[in-house]
Amino acid sequence: MLDANPPQNRTGGLLEFKDVGKTYGQTVALTQFSHRFTPGKVHALMGKNGSGKSTLVKILAGVILPSEGTIRVNGADAIFHTPHDAFGAGVVTVHQELSLIPSLSIGENIFLGRLPMARRFGLTMVDWPKLHRDATALLHEMGLDLSSHQLVSTLSVGQQQVVEIAKAMSFNPSVLLLDEPTSALATREVHLLFTLVRRLRERGVTILYITHRMNELFEIADTCTVLRDGLFAGSVEMTQATPASIVEMMFGETAKAKRPARKVIDRSGAPVLRVEGLTRQGLFSDISFTVHRGEILGIAGLLGAGRTEVMRAIFGADRVDAGSITVNGKTFTAATPKQMKEVGLGYTPENRKEAGLVQILSTHDNLCLASLGHIAPSGVVTRAREQAYVSRQISDLAIKVPEPMLPVSALSGGNQQKVVIGNWLNTQPKVMFFDEPSRGVDVQAKRQIFDIIWDQAERGLAAIFVSTELEEVLEVADRILVMRQGRVVAEVDPTATTLAELYRLCMEGPTA
Amino acid sequence: MTVSMATKAGPNPVVRLIKTYPMELILIVLVVLLILTAPGFASMRNLLNVLRAGAMLGIIAFGMTAVIIAGEIDLSVGAGAALAGTIVAWFSGALVDYVGGAMAALIGFVAAVGVGFVVGFSVGKFRQWFNVPSFICTLALFTALRGFANLITGGFPLTTFPPGFDFFGGGYLLGIPFPVYIFALTFAGMHFLMNFTSFGRAVYAVGGNMEAARLSGIDIWWVKSMTLGLTGIMTAISGTLIASQIGSGTGTTATGLELDVIAAVIIGGTSLFGGKGRIWGTLIGVLFLGCISNGMTLLNVSEYWQYVVRGGIILGAVLLNQVLERVR
Repeated sequence: MLDANPPQNRTGGLLEFKDVGKTYGQTVALTQFSHRFTPGKVHALMGKNGSGKSTLVKILAGVILPSEGTIRVNGADAIFHTPHDAFGAGVVTVHQELSLIPSLSIGENIFLGRLPMARRFGLTMVDWPKLHRDATALLHEMGLDLSSHQLVSTLSVGQQQVVEIAKAMSFNPSVLLLDEPTSALATREVHLLFTLVRRLRERGVTILYITHRMNELFEIADTCTVLRDGLFAGSVEMTQATPASIVEMMFGETAKAKRPARKVIDRSGAPVLRVEGLTRQGLFSDISFTVHRGEILGIAGLLGAGRTEVMRAIFGADRVDAGSITVNGKTFTAATPKQMKEVGLGYTPENRKEAGLVQILSTHDNLCLASLGHIAPSGVVTRAREQAYVSRQISDLAIKVPEPMLPVSALSGGNQQKVVIGNWLNTQPKVMFFDEPSRGVDVQAKRQIFDIIWDQAERGLAAIFVSTELEEVLEVADRILVMRQGRVVAEVDPTATTLAELYRLCMEGPTA
Repeated sequence: MTVSMATKAGPNPVVRLIKTYPMELILIVLVVLLILTAPGFASMRNLLNVLRAGAMLGIIAFGMTAVIIAGEIDLSVGAGAALAGTIVAWFSGALVDYVGGAMAALIGFVAAVGVGFVVGFSVGKFRQWFNVPSFICTLALFTALRGFANLITGGFPLTTFPPGFDFFGGGYLLGIPFPVYIFALTFAGMHFLMNFTSFGRAVYAVGGNMEAARLSGIDIWWVKSMTLGLTGIMTAISGTLIASQIGSGTGTTATGLELDVIAAVIIGGTSLFGGKGRIWGTLIGVLFLGCISNGMTLLNVSEYWQYVVRGGIILGAVLLNQVLERVR
């Protein structure tokens, strides 16, 4: 049980790190992090993927224990074995993923797991009047015009985020961690959030604010602390910072990515894929681009920029509101994955476990999933007929599989990803979308997957490559589109740009 | 398909056999036990009766296997079978003066099959268009179809079948009950469909992971609807055979049939979570249920205990599959 009445007025938390480090086996996630977060300020925490930022958040949230070093909250040593320990010390984290239950009221969500009880008619039961009274008081105190009785499902994402923060504040924290709170918000809702953050700062709460958005730093943060490759890279007062100086701290001196010699792409003919004015309200708008035979088009963008949404829409997996897609001269304004497959599109989804593979079926079956129409034009299919297709992909893609008839779930992440790719290559596609093909695979498999993409492009496949790791986009693609908040904002030549430059383009706000 | 399991080499051939064919072995043990203890079990006449009874539910069970592998369920097959019988009987009576008895019954049969298919297929479409789970849709049909059956008959059994119609449900061909041929044909057809056609492979994919199947360009709703439609056809066939056997179309027949059908599918190792199961397994499940009911009757086990035992068997079979899943 959580304490329903935490100590009052515990604001003004001083948060100190001394030589804090975290290693996972051989992997070093965070090294000797020492910093003092002064009370009553908004401290931004920045760093690219793998910088150790999330490790720091997890340590403070009580999800993992540091391997070394000490953390002090208001001078007292703090070791958080569980999230409960963190609450007890007055450190509360609002995670990026919302954790509210849509079908319950705001009030019940706030006090979930610690509902106030009362004894009535000889029975201990939930004290609903008190619950809603307390929740209403909390919401008013934070300047929120929401009814405690309202169902969370009726709220906008921004309002839900705010309720999430109200829930965190009900623990009366002295340190509040906000992990990318604006990543899912529309601009208008960001203001609602910022108003709340400023109000909390006035009350003296120390806020750690994690974000990818450059312009937010200058709007809301007092200081900015940067991590790079698990190391403390620097900390500045925002009054003395420029976007350029922060990007420099994040990347240090960056070298250009290495890539193999690629032949010159012939862009004279008609493109294999032409997308024009593709729009879906609230997700992306006016997306237009072309891809030619043998070309690898990279799409760069931060999480939530709309990359996956655009690809799924082109493939017909999600609907679009406007725009058209032309594949090999055939134009569609609405399509299904089946139709898109027939005209030569392939799509390897970002989450292979949930959307790419049927885990309980065999590797054999998974390699034939998309290509049954090719293998069996008459509808009758035998193992023997499928075998040629299965064997070819296993050898071409060097899939390590002891027994193709066993469930695909037994394979490693890299090999599973190759099965997803092989499944589509069996359909002999003209255009392939690779959505995060390197996620959760080891370094060697990643190299092999890039080699497969390059090799297929050599043979004439038009590939569209998406990765959260900008280094990879830079390395793999022949041309890069940069997406930001559902729009294509730039097109760059990977040989003529740097990682820092690409990152800057992906982030919002004033240019350096 | 037994291929995937047989290739998993265990250390001991006996252990491997038990792990690979658990229900088959249990069925063999059961049959041996019944031959030794139940008087008259081993007689040809009795065995053929077991098969005939098994055929009525087995024909539907093969379709149900596909439905469950596709991740859906059909609770309306008992009511559907009753309705089919009354449709055939109604047409037989209404058209006999115009086209003759045999043709009237044939028209009735075609109509019943058509209704079965359309109703089943619509269940899938309801799921697609209105997001109504097949459990709910077929629960509604479970009562509604029986209602329609009774509306057609007016509450009294319709004995309007042409002479000789009783052959289909009760007659013998070359010494074997006619329904057993239909049972065997359905088995062969469904085994072929599920293992040797792209449709069958799609059923497994859709049930195993709907999103992955959809993104692989499989028309998931067509696949699901077709499995339900096929089951509707098989329900109509079985319902016609039952009506033929009892000599009338009536709304009160085949009560509880849906539960026996689903039980046979589950005993056969098909997972209610979808994506996993075999037509062969369902054949074993049907035979197992048939033998145990027949055996218990021969051994004079009270009807009430029979219900308890059958409940225990369903639970036991699922537990066995779960345990084997872990040790495999």
